[in-house]
Amino acid sequence: MPSARGEQGSEGLEAGVWVPATPGSGKGAARAGESRALVSEDPQADSSISPLPHLEAKIHQTHSLARLLTKYAEQLLQEYVQHQGDPFGLPGFSPPRLPVAGLSAPAPGHAGLPAAERLQLDAGALSALPPLLDVVRRHQAELNPRALRLLRRLEDAARQARALGAAVEAVLAALGAETRGPRPEPAVAAAAAAAAATDAGVFPAKVLGLRVCGLYREWVSRTEGDLGQLVPGGPA
Amino acid sequence: MMNISLRLRRPPWMVDSNGRRMTSHFQWLSLTFILLYLMNQVNSEKRGAPRDLKCITNNLRVWDCSWKAPSAAGHGTVYEICIENRSHSCYQSEKTNTKIPALLPGDHEITINRLYDFGNPISKFTLNEKNVSLIPDTPEILNLSADFSTSTIHLKWNDRGSVFPHQLTVIWEIKILRKENMEIVKLITHNTTVNGKDTVHHWSWTSDMPLECAIHSVGIRCYVDDPHFSGRKEWSDWSPLKNISWSPDSQTKVFPQDKVILVGSDITFCCVTQEKVLSAQIGQTNCPLIHLDGENVAIKIHNISVSANSGTNVVFTTEDNIFGTVIFVGYPPDIPQKVNCETYDLKEIVCTWNPGRPTALVGPRNTSYTLFEFSGKYVRFKRVEAPTNESYQLFFQMRPNQEIYNFTLSARNPLGRSESTILINITEKVYPRIPTSIKVKDINSTAVMLSWHLPGNFAKIKLLCQIEINKTNSVQELRNVTIKGVENSSYLVAVDKLNPYTIYTFRIRCSTETFWKWSKWSNEKKYLTTEAIPSKGPDTWREWSSDGKNLIIYWKPLPINEANGKILSYNVSCSLDEETQSLSEIPDPQHKAELQLDKNDYIISVVAKNSVGSSPPSKIASMEIPNDDLKVEQAVGMGNGILLTWNYDPNMTCDYVIKWCNSSRSEPCLMDWKKVPSNSTEAVIESDQFRPGVRYSFFLYGCRNEGYQLLRSIIGYIEELAPIVAPNFTVEDTSADSILVKWEDIPVEELRGFLRGYLFYFEKGERDTSKIRGLESGRSDIKVKNITDLSQKTLRIADLQGKTSYHLVLRAYTDGGMGPEKSMFVVTKENSVGLIIAILIPVAVAVIVGVVTSILCYRKREWIKETFYPDIPNPENCKALQFQKSVCEGNSALKTLEMNPCTPNNVEVLETRSAVPKIEDTEIISPIAERPEESSDAEAENHVVVSYCPPVIEEETPNPGADEAGGASQVVYIDIQSMYQPQAKPEEEQENDPVGGAGYKPQMHLPVTSTVDDLAAEDDLDKAAGYRPQANVNTWNLVSPDSPRSTDSNSEIVSFGSPCSINSRQFLIPPKDEDSPKSSGGGWSFTNFFQNKPND
Repeated sequence: MPSARGEQGSEGLEAGVWVPATPGSGKGAARAGESRALVSEDPQADSSISPLPHLEAKIHQTHSLARLLTKYAEQLLQEYVQHQGDPFGLPGFSPPRLPVAGLSAPAPGHAGLPAAERLQLDAGALSALPPLLDVVRRHQAELNPRALRLLRRLEDAARQARALGAAVEAVLAALGAETRGPRPEPAVAAAAAAAAATDAGVFPAKVLGLRVCGLYREWVSRTEGDLGQLVPGGPA
Repeated sequence: MMNISLRLRRPPWMVDSNGRRMTSHFQWLSLTFILLYLMNQVNSEKRGAPRDLKCITNNLRVWDCSWKAPSAAGHGTVYEICIENRSHSCYQSEKTNTKIPALLPGDHEITINRLYDFGNPISKFTLNEKNVSLIPDTPEILNLSADFSTSTIHLKWNDRGSVFPHQLTVIWEIKILRKENMEIVKLITHNTTVNGKDTVHHWSWTSDMPLECAIHSVGIRCYVDDPHFSGRKEWSDWSPLKNISWSPDSQTKVFPQDKVILVGSDITFCCVTQEKVLSAQIGQTNCPLIHLDGENVAIKIHNISVSANSGTNVVFTTEDNIFGTVIFVGYPPDIPQKVNCETYDLKEIVCTWNPGRPTALVGPRNTSYTLFEFSGKYVRFKRVEAPTNESYQLFFQMRPNQEIYNFTLSARNPLGRSESTILINITEKVYPRIPTSIKVKDINSTAVMLSWHLPGNFAKIKLLCQIEINKTNSVQELRNVTIKGVENSSYLVAVDKLNPYTIYTFRIRCSTETFWKWSKWSNEKKYLTTEAIPSKGPDTWREWSSDGKNLIIYWKPLPINEANGKILSYNVSCSLDEETQSLSEIPDPQHKAELQLDKNDYIISVVAKNSVGSSPPSKIASMEIPNDDLKVEQAVGMGNGILLTWNYDPNMTCDYVIKWCNSSRSEPCLMDWKKVPSNSTEAVIESDQFRPGVRYSFFLYGCRNEGYQLLRSIIGYIEELAPIVAPNFTVEDTSADSILVKWEDIPVEELRGFLRGYLFYFEKGERDTSKIRGLESGRSDIKVKNITDLSQKTLRIADLQGKTSYHLVLRAYTDGGMGPEKSMFVVTKENSVGLIIAILIPVAVAVIVGVVTSILCYRKREWIKETFYPDIPNPENCKALQFQKSVCEGNSALKTLEMNPCTPNNVEVLETRSAVPKIEDTEIISPIAERPEESSDAEAENHVVVSYCPPVIEEETPNPGADEAGGASQVVYIDIQSMYQPQAKPEEEQENDPVGGAGYKPQMHLPVTSTVDDLAAEDDLDKAAGYRPQANVNTWNLVSPDSPRSTDSNSEIVSFGSPCSINSRQFLIPPKDEDSPKSSGGGWSFTNFFQNKPND
């Protein structure tokens, strides 16, 4: 069922947002691939400036990005549900939260971990999400080839997750914590598992897509929360 | 009994197949058979011989006969079976059965005896085919397989046809059992024919329930239907059941998975699970569960509706999980519609079509199209997610030297297929692409070469191209050209018949000679052709300047189609007697030249020049051919132009010229001119400069030998309008019954049309109270005069009323309408004749009355004297009447009582004849005639003083009132305009009148002016307070016909009372003398006279 909602804000993040001044602003966008370079180059390029304000700014910017993506992730989930037909989207329809290969849900004890460790988990999940979102998009391209907005949102979400993951790793690097770096193997494995799940049937693929979109929302939201604790003036 | 029972258990279809005609035979045979059986049984029992011979066959070739051995028969007994009625063929068997070849129809005697056992009797049987049962061998399922994706079971078995001697029909019965409790879900029969050899048969069955949902078992049996076999035919036994089962893995599954079905189908979904299923739903609709083996459940959906793109979800919910599948419900592909194949370039064929009804299936389930050509070549349509109802297209590479193509377009999706065919000759279906690269090259000033590029290999056909030629302010021109197609796609065409120095816009489209479709128009290409010499000389005219010394040559710029280029200059020359003199070269855009010429008849030539050359000269003679017979005519146009006509004149050898100008402009009068051919007799003159309501002068010139002669002079309007001003008019003369009005002409500029007349309205009315309203509304009180004689400038309006205000309105009109109005109020003069008549009549009456009265009085004078004026004793002898002067001037009340020795000085008796008319005249005096100075003149003549004062009173001042009365005794003719109705004085004034209130009053009181009278009365108040008549003056019979109260009027009293002696204290004229002449016109007034006149 086509959505009547507008596509607010999505265009601004089509190629991944690095430093949005305010939520919803598309200005200052950079390619996802470029964002990582910015992260690595920033400390050297601005070595004359005290690193503390730089870190605060980076945390603040990454937090803003996460907050924006949380909103987009919610919109993606709604859009996804709308295109899967009933009973998806009906109240009470809650498929079991089956584990997704290569991507775990945020653990209940996540909040009790140290900040750096939480961010490392966030970064890991965000790096695993793009291939899963790609699998979902490919499946939806066959199932709902005319749902162009959903397909674009899924495509955007993969880029945005990648960008946010890179930003979090940049924060970790700025914090001096160890970054795990790119982990292609788990991501590829997750994608392969997801692709296998979609081959099992359309319904499992729909459920998998719902699960992936839900995990994307959870991890982006969790990242926003974790970064929010690092933002000066935020919750301790 | 077994045989019987078997026969009775024949299947119903056997009965049906044999028909009812067998029923009677069957009954007869049954009875015979029973009888034979009973007889044989009895004999066997008696002898201890084999009994109960029974034969069956499964292949119609061999009968397998068996019998029951007698109880005495032991092991190892050998039986000999002989068929008697043949060539005594016998068979030995150690068993109680043997196989014998099938016997021919009819009864056969069969003997069975135990060999080597001679004590026992031989059993004899009569064997007939009818007693033999045909029971086929139990069939065997060769293979049973299942296609789970389609829920189809495939069954394979061998019919063992080789065992049968001849061709016959075999009926197979197949049963499908489901679930562990073997519910029969399908029982079908399947007919085959065996023809003497073994054949493997296939049969498939699609389950309404996915095969994964439950175990499915299959069994088969057969029945040989040989019409030639007269014995019993029975079903074979069921084959051993074979099962189809799906070995579930650990994962719970819902079936069918991702199936595509037709809209409106019925479908069963099942969930194969180890968990207890709580509910099931399709979409948002819950469905009742159908329990299968174990925890497996199913739901059944009837008449399923079409799905969304993402399919319809079917979900089974267990305690901790949900399982589901997606079903895609749609339609098979519609027949491709509007299939059309054509080529753009004769290299590739493009076929387009419309998919028709949407299938509701997308993605991998979308319809796939394949375009097959008869030659075997085909192309497939690559799946695109085109919007619904959008045309699809496929490209097919043409084969060399093939023109006829037979295409079949096949559409296929999971629910079915459809196709459409089309046969075309591709050379007739060419839809060329847009011509590109349009280029233009000059050939000459009227022809260009047009080239363009048209992609495609059209070498074998001819192209039909259309060239659209546009030029500014001209009709679009289309030219068709047929050109031979080329391989290199470049085409070249010459376009001629163009105009020099003209901007053309070209565009091209092409088709083939065997027209199918035009290509789209190419882009436009603008091109300016080269210049050529001007084709004509300029249109020339000439005018003499106002002083007649200079000739002004005018010419019009050449139109672009005659200039053939940019005109750079004009060359003006004049010639006289073959001698030509070039005068000047005038650069463009100047279009006139002034030449100082004498009165010789020069020929003026004007030539236009552009960069290529000069135009032919335009010639015009400087002098006009005189024409004395000329008069000015009038004409009115048609709103946008004016039509001028004239008679054909063969003498006119060159063009007529019509020039025109604004009439009000000064000389030389030229606004524009127009030339018309010499054979024309009319011309419509149109110009943007023409304005309605403006007078133009048109001059028609005829032309002979380049000399022009003015033929007609016309003034006219393109459109007449109403005048914008009203005519000025004045009143020249006014009389009592007429008004003479004079008006002036309206200036031509303000007339705005040919004056057709004036409308003059008049009505009675004052300036402030009357307005001419709705002049055209036909009011009856408005009189209208339509003056169409334009030379008339005055109008006398007669039959008016005198002394009346009239409202006059004058307006002019043209054919364009009525102009504004101008109005004026005029008051007519008083009617003098009526006035004179009104004066003369009463005067004459009064004179006549006076004369008559005088005559009567004269004749009766003695009687009158005796009656009214008897001799009066000499008052001098009466001392009592001796009044002292002082006393007379004292209190009058006292004087009347005192008998003073005042003797009247004299008594005059009015006996003169002229006195009476004088008095009569006073009666018609206007009471308001204030002419005191005139009254003094009349006083001496007309006033008759009757004085009762004693002689001593001669010194007193005469009564001013009497003077006034005498002064008023005239008829004064006054202007009507200043005349007013006399007004009676209020009674208060009369009562307060001191004259009337005290002092002496003469019995005859003439009217006096109130003012003077008042002053005199005040002065004489004390003087007059002497004698008073004892009689009340009110009781006097004062006669005033028009004013009954005239007796009270101080100033208007006109009385003819009888003089009364104060001594006699009686009236001098008795009241009975009422017949005396009375006033006959005292109340008559001119105003009344006029008021009585009808108001017309």
